Amino acid sequence: MLKVAIVGAGTMGSVHSNSYRSVRGAKVVAICDIRPDRATKAASAHGAKCYEDYDMMLRNEKIDVVDICLPTYMHKGFALKAISYGKHVFCEKPIALSIGDAREMVDGARNRGVKFSVGHVVRFFPAYAKAVKNIKEGKIGIPKLIRTTRAGAYPSWSWNNWYSNYDCSGGPMVDLIIHDIDWIRYNFGDVERVFARDLYGRKIDNLDHCLITLRLKNGAIAHIEGSWAYPKGSIFGTTFEIIGTKGQIEFDSRSSAPIKKYVPNGDAVRTSIESPMFPDEEPYTMEIQKFIDCITENKKPLVSGEDAIKALEISLAAVKSARTKEVVLPGGDN
Amino acid sequence: MGKIKIGMVSFEHMHALSYAKALSKMEDVEISGVADSDMYRGTQAASMFNTKYYQDYRKLLETPVDGVVICTCNKLHMPTVIDAAKAHKYIMVEKPFATNTKEADAMLKACRDNGVKMMTAFPLRFNQAVIEAKKQIDRGDIGDILCITGINHGKMPSGWFLDINKSGGGAIIDHTVHVADLMRWFTGSEVKTVYAETGNMLYNTGIDDCGILNVEFENGVFATIDTSWAHHKNYPIWPEVYMEIIGTKGVLKVDAFKQVERIYSEESGEITDDVWGSDGDEGLMREFVNTIKTGKEPSETGLDGAKAMWIALAAYASSKSHKVEKVVYGG
Repeated sequence: MLKVAIVGAGTMGSVHSNSYRSVRGAKVVAICDIRPDRATKAASAHGAKCYEDYDMMLRNEKIDVVDICLPTYMHKGFALKAISYGKHVFCEKPIALSIGDAREMVDGARNRGVKFSVGHVVRFFPAYAKAVKNIKEGKIGIPKLIRTTRAGAYPSWSWNNWYSNYDCSGGPMVDLIIHDIDWIRYNFGDVERVFARDLYGRKIDNLDHCLITLRLKNGAIAHIEGSWAYPKGSIFGTTFEIIGTKGQIEFDSRSSAPIKKYVPNGDAVRTSIESPMFPDEEPYTMEIQKFIDCITENKKPLVSGEDAIKALEISLAAVKSARTKEVVLPGGDN
Repeated sequence: MGKIKIGMVSFEHMHALSYAKALSKMEDVEISGVADSDMYRGTQAASMFNTKYYQDYRKLLETPVDGVVICTCNKLHMPTVIDAAKAHKYIMVEKPFATNTKEADAMLKACRDNGVKMMTAFPLRFNQAVIEAKKQIDRGDIGDILCITGINHGKMPSGWFLDINKSGGGAIIDHTVHVADLMRWFTGSEVKTVYAETGNMLYNTGIDDCGILNVEFENGVFATIDTSWAHHKNYPIWPEVYMEIIGTKGVLKVDAFKQVERIYSEESGEITDDVWGSDGDEGLMREFVNTIKTGKEPSETGLDGAKAMWIALAAYASSKSHKVEKVVYGG
C-alpha cells in the first residue's frame, strides 16, 4: 500500500482526496495546507494527518507519493523538494510556467529515480477516450479538423484570486486549454505552427477568452477555444468536434449530461447539470490509479514529464503568438 | 405600378432554385424569363416557374426586365454583371461576389457607370435569428463585442464547385464570405488582417475543402471563421452557420439553422434535421424587389460582397505564406 500526501487542499486537492477513496493500492496519510480548516476537511475521509508545514510533513511522515495540488507558480519548488526526499510526484497541470522550470522538475525526478506525472486528466475523460478509440477503429477515417471548446466563468473563486495574476497562473492559454492541447498533441500529432489571440491587456476585469489555431505536422488543423468570459454562475462546458476523411464525431458536455435540475432561486431559477460516473470510471480516479499502478508495477507513467513539457511549449507558443500577433513555431525560445 | 419583372440568369448555382421559389410567392413580382446556357437545366427551370427560356442571357437582357438574379458559376459573374449593368438592369449576384480583384473592380465600376444598384446574395442578413441577434447586440445586451468564433460548415458540393477555373477556389472562397459579411455587419468594422490554415484535406479533389481563418478588425475585435465543407454525406443537415460573440458584459451565440425538427426515416434510411425556421432567401429577394421599386440603396450591396471576397483572397495568400496578411481592398 503506497502512502500518499496531498499538498494543497483547495479545489483540486479536494477532488484528488475524494478520488483516492476509490484508488487501489494507495492510501492518503497526510494532507498539507496553510489553511488548517481545508486540510482537516479533506483529511477526515482518510484518517490522514494534517500539516501546515510541508517540510515537517516530509520529515515526519513515511510517504511514498506526493500529490501536488497547489497554484501553478508553486509547482516547481514543492515538486523539487519532494523529489529531493525521494518521493514519487504527481503534479497538477500545468506542470509549470516556463520550460526551464518544467525541465528542472522532469530532470530532477529522472536523476533521483522517482516517478513523475502531471494531471492531464482529459485523456481519462470517458467521452474523450471513447472518441480516440472510435478514431483508432477507423470510424471517421483520418482525423483532419479538430475543434475543441472549454468555456465557463472567470475563476475568481480561487485562493487569493491567484488565477487572475497571469504571472502565477499563465492565464487561460496556459492553465485552461492546456487540457485540450495535451489531448490533441498526444492523440493527433505534434504541432507545426501556432496562431493565437486573447483578451490579455484589454483591462476588462474578470474576463478573458482565447482562440488558438494549430497546424499539426501531419497536416491536420485544430481550433481550440478557451473561455473565462461567461457570466458568473454560467455552467462550465466542454465540446469537441473531430472531422475525418470518412466521418465526424461531436460531443458537448452540456447537451450530453443526463441530469438537468431546475430549482427555485428567488424569483429566478437555478439550473444545474450532472454527468455522474461510477467511482472507478471517474477520470481523476483513473489518472491517479494509473500513476499508482505505474509505481507498483515499475512502469512509465501514461502522462510523462516530457508530454507535460510539450503541452506547455504549445501553450507558451500560443501566448507568444497572442502578444506578437504573429505565427509561432512551438519549442523555440518562447 | 405593374409587377416587377425579374429575370433569372442561370441555375448553374443551385441557390437559384430557392431564390426563384421565393420570388414566385410574391404577388408583385413576375419571373419573366430564365436564361441558361444549359438548355436542359434552363428549360426545366422555365417550366417549373412557368416562364420563358433563353439560352443566351443577352436575349433576356434585351427584354424589359427590371432586375436579374445571377446564379452562374463564380467565374461568369463578371461578364454577366457587366452586361446586365450596361442593359440597366438591377442586379442580385450570387456569392462569392467574384474570384479576384480585377473582376470585382470591373463589376463595381460597371454598376457605378450605369447607375445600377447591385446586391450580393447574402441571405443570412435576412435570417430571423441573425436579425434578432444583431438587434440585441446593437441595444447593448452583451456590451461591446470583443471577439467572435464563427463557423460555416456545409456538405461537399459537386460539379463546377470543384473546378477552380469556374469557382475560383473551394471552401475558403465559398464559405468565408457568409460569416465574414455577418461579422462586418455586426461589428461595423472592416477586417484589417487575416491568418489562415487551409487545405485539401477531406476529399481527394485538389481543391481546398477545410480552412480556419483568424481575422482582426480595425476596431480591435478578433475572430475565427471555420469555412470547412466539413459535414459528411449522412450528416443530418447541410448548412451550419454559427457565431459565438463574446462581449464585455455577456455572451451571445447565434445558430442560424437551429430551428429544426429531426426526422428518423426508415423509408429513406436517413436521419435529417428539417429546418422549420424562417428562410433568409425570401427576405433577400424582398429587399431586391424593394430596391428596384424605390431605387434606394439596398441594405447590403455589391461592395459588401466584394469586401467579403477580399477577406477570402487574403486567406488564400496567408495559407501560402504562413504569415498574417493584410486585406487588400480593390486594385
